[in-house]
Amino acid sequence: MLDRRKFLAGLAVGAAGLLVPKGKLPAFPAQKGAKPAPKPKDEKYAMAVVKGGDPTLVTRKAIDLIGGMGSFVSRGDVVLVKPNIGWDRTEEQAANTNPLVVAALVTMALEAGAKKVVVADNPCNDARRTYKRSGIEDAAKKAGAEVLFMEDRHYVKTNLNGEVLKDWLVFRGALDANKIINVPIAKHHGLGGITLMMKNLMGVTGGARNLMHQRLPESIVDLQAFFKPQLNVLDAIRILKANGPQGGSTKDVEKLDTVAASADPVRLEAWGISLFGKKIENFPAVALAEKRGLGIKDFRSSGFIEVNLG
Amino acid sequence: MMKNLRRVSQIVFFLFFVYLFIQTEYKGRNELGLPVRLFLDFDPLVALSSLLASHAVRAVFLFSLVTVALTIVLGRFFCGWVCPLGAINTAIGGLRMRRLKPGRSEGRFPRWRPVKYYVLVFVLVAAIFGWNAAGFLDPISLTIRSLAIGYNPAINKIARSALEAGIGFNIPLVSPGLDALYTKMTGTVLSFNQPIFRQSLFIGLIFTAILGLNFLAPRFWCRYLCPLGALLGLIGWKQIGARVANDKDKCISCRKCVVACQGDATPFPPGEWASRECLVCYNCREVCPASAISITAGARNTGDGNVDLERRWLLASGIGALLVVPAIATGVQRKRTDPSLIRPPGALPEQEFVRRCVKCGECMKVCLTNGLHPTFAEAGLEGLWTPILVPRLGYCEFNCNLCSQVCPTGAIRPVTVAEKQKIHIGLAFVDKNRCLPYAFKRQCIVCEEHCPTPEKAITFVEEPAIDERGAMVILKKPVVNPDLCIGCGICETKCPVIDRPAIYVTAINESRAEENQLFLKI
Repeated sequence: MLDRRKFLAGLAVGAAGLLVPKGKLPAFPAQKGAKPAPKPKDEKYAMAVVKGGDPTLVTRKAIDLIGGMGSFVSRGDVVLVKPNIGWDRTEEQAANTNPLVVAALVTMALEAGAKKVVVADNPCNDARRTYKRSGIEDAAKKAGAEVLFMEDRHYVKTNLNGEVLKDWLVFRGALDANKIINVPIAKHHGLGGITLMMKNLMGVTGGARNLMHQRLPESIVDLQAFFKPQLNVLDAIRILKANGPQGGSTKDVEKLDTVAASADPVRLEAWGISLFGKKIENFPAVALAEKRGLGIKDFRSSGFIEVNLG
Repeated sequence: MMKNLRRVSQIVFFLFFVYLFIQTEYKGRNELGLPVRLFLDFDPLVALSSLLASHAVRAVFLFSLVTVALTIVLGRFFCGWVCPLGAINTAIGGLRMRRLKPGRSEGRFPRWRPVKYYVLVFVLVAAIFGWNAAGFLDPISLTIRSLAIGYNPAINKIARSALEAGIGFNIPLVSPGLDALYTKMTGTVLSFNQPIFRQSLFIGLIFTAILGLNFLAPRFWCRYLCPLGALLGLIGWKQIGARVANDKDKCISCRKCVVACQGDATPFPPGEWASRECLVCYNCREVCPASAISITAGARNTGDGNVDLERRWLLASGIGALLVVPAIATGVQRKRTDPSLIRPPGALPEQEFVRRCVKCGECMKVCLTNGLHPTFAEAGLEGLWTPILVPRLGYCEFNCNLCSQVCPTGAIRPVTVAEKQKIHIGLAFVDKNRCLPYAFKRQCIVCEEHCPTPEKAITFVEEPAIDERGAMVILKKPVVNPDLCIGCGICETKCPVIDRPAIYVTAINESRAEENQLFLKI
């Protein structure tokens, strides 16, 4: 399995013929300075941005560049893949995570030996419609995931121990999972400016979560600090640049064919902001998260790689 | 044999009815794909009353002509073999019927037999003068409404509580099994979300009382009150295809047929059979120990026990309707529209709407967000139990047009999703005294986040302020653009000011009403 995946990835970058079993090479030393050229496939980067290609390939390549799914998911794990399935919108309207990106992550997690992969979200519109219309329900099921609606009885009152969030209803699946893969889409948001990694975690909470808007940056950092997803992926296959977070007009959508992945959500958050041409300083959640040791905002620092498959 | 066949037919039609009822819910596709309102389409009273009240002829009425044609041949077979309320009454009435004794307690109220005709006259005269009262008493509308609003929430609650209790006990193997079962059942047998309706207890109790009448007399409703039964009785009184004949030479006057009769149609004494009351149930033939009763096509002079309708009561019913109509038409709703009278998208102008609507509750059952509820006083008596959107409880989903798919009378006309997205059903207003950024200098803007129009109808103005912590913030204060706002109400549903919302929708600016506009048309 591993070999085939690596092989595909290898083909994609045009670095063929080097089918060395993984694990025999030492971890690649951190890269400094300018954007490094694509390296042989077994190097492990801290953050990868891959663009230009089919969402499945782009996602696979991004994960492979940061060490492969095997370095995040272990055999027998129960994995929660948490996309944004918040809105009754289609893939083209870019209000929800791209279904192929979700499906690719499900497939890879299963290939890495996960016992079960759950895909779920607590959406803003009716779950039946958002799951269907986003394309995620069908794509994730086809990839072998268990697609769950978050029903009332699935929430457990949990102390999040945050700066502003204390007792909240939390989706049991997020507590039960051994690994969480957080995979939002990058899009415009009225209050937050842009919604990216950390805000997506609101989707594993229930109750009066719209109260979080009163202290949004602190709230989403609290969520990140509590859940600490092991793998973070940001979908920028399409980004929504206005009228977010639910959009509706494809005029507001830009197709970038890009996916970024890292263990560090703050780097992805910062990179996501840069996609919109905005200043990271204007997004207080990023600095807050860095201050609390949840990641680093200088996403171009050590171990950053950008690959264009196109 | 025929009796058993009739029972099978009742069970099959009842199960089909329940199946369609359960399917009256979003099932993953924009189009329901099933004719969930089929029983209403074949209901001549629904067709006739909305035809009389609205003067609109609709192609769908052709279905009810099938029922009419069959009734001319077979009499009230619909009551005996098809009607779902009839089936429920047969089942419950059967409990009573078992205790009846020929000649002693026969469980009959023969003098009540004309009442349903007077009810029918009242309803039809009222319809002619523009009040569609048929829906209150039409058995199909009554049953769907009562099940959707009254019974379904209770059934769901009971089933869900039982399952949750079972899961809560944490019994190994059993509880996880129940949990999986629960998930399987929601959206299939049970509703996807626990339904909650205004007036559900009230509407449920009325239906329960109607079912309870079976303990006075079996099928009391069908025999004495049902206006559809009356209409079918009048249409099918010849019953040329299945006439009941009691052979007086064979009859031993045991009166067993009188007691077994579902419709109080007096198969005994011979020659007294009341065809208008006969539900073609075949009980009389089955029960007769002397084989005196036969049911055959075309038999003549088998009986004329049909009750006379008294002219004074017919007049009283008609005149009663005539008197009630003006009283209703002078309700306050005719002077001022109630601000909460937010009709579903595609609803006709108010007068036309209430004339057509039969209060069947299909739209409320199918509403994705459980946002459509029966009116109480908002639309006056003429509009009692017609649907309104209560945005505090549920909003109108931007991409959904299910209510317009299920309406049997076109009160909500069929609209495409694209068409529906342009229909204004009301307008949102911000209550600055309650809105968090305006009144308390706290960030919120949840309304803007959820606003579904591609170009947002709710935007915000930014204003620097000192917040409750003494920190400098740029507050985002919501502003509604009345040209873009379609009144879907999601802002009100989601507003975190959870009791009286800080943003709310009223019916003003609704597309369907020229007279309910806010701005000068230039």
